[in-house]
Amino acid sequence: MTTTEARPTDRKPPQLVDMSWDPITRIIGNLGIYTKIDFANREVVECHSTSSLFRGYSVFMKGKDPRDAGFITSRICGICGDNHTTCSDYAQQMAYGVKPPPLAEHIVNLGEAAEYMFDHTIFQDNLVFVDFCEAMVKATNPGVLARAERTEAPRGEIHGYRTIADIMKAFNPFEGEVYKEALKVSRVTREMFCLMEGRHVHPSTLYPGGVGTMPQPTVFTDYLARLMRVIDFVKKAVAMNDDVFDFFYEALPGYEEVGRRRVLLGCWGAFQNPQTVDYRYENMNSWGKDMYVTPGIIVDGELVTNNLVDINLGLRIMLGSSYYEDWVNEQPFVTHDPLGNPVDMRHPWNQTTVPVPQKRNFDDKYSWVMSPRWFDQRTGDHLALDTGGGPLARLWSTALSGLVDTPYVKATGHSVRISLPKGESLPETTLEWRIPQWSNTIERDRARPYFIAYAAAMALQFLEEAMGMVRAGETKVFENYEVPDEAIGCGFHEAVRGVLSHHLVIKDKKIANYHPYPPTPWNASPRDMYGTPGPYEDAVQGQPIFEENGPDDFKGVDIMRTVRSFDPCLPCGVHMYVGKGKTLTTLHSPTYGANHG
Amino acid sequence: MGSIRVGRAQAKPDTPRHVAGMHQGNKGPRQQQKGHHADGTADARRSTGIHWKRHDTLAETMPNISPG
Repeated sequence: MTTTEARPTDRKPPQLVDMSWDPITRIIGNLGIYTKIDFANREVVECHSTSSLFRGYSVFMKGKDPRDAGFITSRICGICGDNHTTCSDYAQQMAYGVKPPPLAEHIVNLGEAAEYMFDHTIFQDNLVFVDFCEAMVKATNPGVLARAERTEAPRGEIHGYRTIADIMKAFNPFEGEVYKEALKVSRVTREMFCLMEGRHVHPSTLYPGGVGTMPQPTVFTDYLARLMRVIDFVKKAVAMNDDVFDFFYEALPGYEEVGRRRVLLGCWGAFQNPQTVDYRYENMNSWGKDMYVTPGIIVDGELVTNNLVDINLGLRIMLGSSYYEDWVNEQPFVTHDPLGNPVDMRHPWNQTTVPVPQKRNFDDKYSWVMSPRWFDQRTGDHLALDTGGGPLARLWSTALSGLVDTPYVKATGHSVRISLPKGESLPETTLEWRIPQWSNTIERDRARPYFIAYAAAMALQFLEEAMGMVRAGETKVFENYEVPDEAIGCGFHEAVRGVLSHHLVIKDKKIANYHPYPPTPWNASPRDMYGTPGPYEDAVQGQPIFEENGPDDFKGVDIMRTVRSFDPCLPCGVHMYVGKGKTLTTLHSPTYGANHG
Repeated sequence: MGSIRVGRAQAKPDTPRHVAGMHQGNKGPRQQQKGHHADGTADARRSTGIHWKRHDTLAETMPNISPG
């Protein structure tokens, strides 16, 4: 259903080889990609994405004080824990009926903007670009590198590199200029984060009801000084990315098919508008649309909805290939939402997690990840939405809705225009991200630096408004509240790599049910009970192979680029074997370039 | 928890979440913290105990901003 259409080609007799990467990335080292590759026709025939680790947050959160939820769920992730704290606080604020003062919202928004800038920079420049660097391209597509050496970089006057090969050399791990500069920048952006949220990556100053950050003038001026230091880096990053990715389309005709899948994107919205958000479920559609990253569900390039209530009610957690017992016969926790709409048994509010460990079997159950889907009422389909690595869905949804209109960022209906002020060396610049033709590997990667620019531009606006408040003496950052005996709440936010929701049920002042749904369960989900593959599987399955190496020295770089374009947390180790468990090479990505040159 | 074998629980689930009479952080700092006013504003007493009246603003209409 969700797979891309088959490409009409002259088929040769298939020459199938099993290729597996397990673990592929650091989601605590537990994501595996198992593929069958047809080397005669140079494409991936079948793909399974599997996770071998059970976490059980929803199991051990039960019975705990709901006020602790933000601190506990932060530990879900070692790189975007603050997104969980923020989302958990949003859900709790709905349950407690408390609205933090506007300055507190600004401080949270500034912290989250710094997190997007930090995390996207370190992921793109230090991890994604390892797959696009000179050393890797030389090993996988020598012809492309030779062409890159002859190709002038069109935006050379902005980033300072003459040819595409020069940019690729700057991407080389440990030695390249971009790689080293990105490490420095991610340190500065992390400092910005710590100014607002106290500590990276598990914030110490975010609470339901407000923040504990002392709103003194220097907090904001220190943040601004750091932001202005990195603003030129952001402008250069966008230009360099556009040059390299445009070159890949040009040098490898048909590369748009790599990682391409039907446009099925979800974005839950980020950056609350402090003036309008009241955390009441009844008003969620209205304050959801006022967010500075507009939520939305995009199917085949059309916006299906940007109402958070519709998004919430359409969530379905499916089983099918996951090691869990079904819960449909249990007692529901929430039968109707506060607006009186019925809530499905497969909604996270009603989910019960009962793990059933078993042997991995690709014909039956093969993953600890469940299959989150969104129920499309128009067609009755359960859509396997992906997040496009985060930025693609965020920019796409914001652009299509056309609701964001701020001094620095404007959504036009078909693009997002981002204005960045003059920096140390580059003049004032307006960048425009246009809705691409495809949802594929290159476009997922290209959207990332544009979103860094987006976050930087929004941060400037939040800073100006926050400093205005401080100067006016409106320094209140916390609102008191009482924990109710019984309540429900939901929080919608964007983790760095895409959609994030927390669903909370409080009974007797304790947590009765708590279900966080971060982006990777959406992206890495296995086949559901209807047989619909998850986004990784769907994107890799049927994708052509452009790597010039044969089965013996195959690196799988096109597959790696696809999986990594979804930003599956931080890839730090790749073990690779062919056939029946024979280990060919063991690579540790960050040291990849250590031996060359 | 299905049929998983697990070890003996280290936590006592019936430990109270909150002991009555203890201060709860979400109830606000004003009663305990000097210099914080009911309307969310504060004065120099929040930042220092030394000659704090002299560090307040010159006029009532001016906001009291933290010295940091």
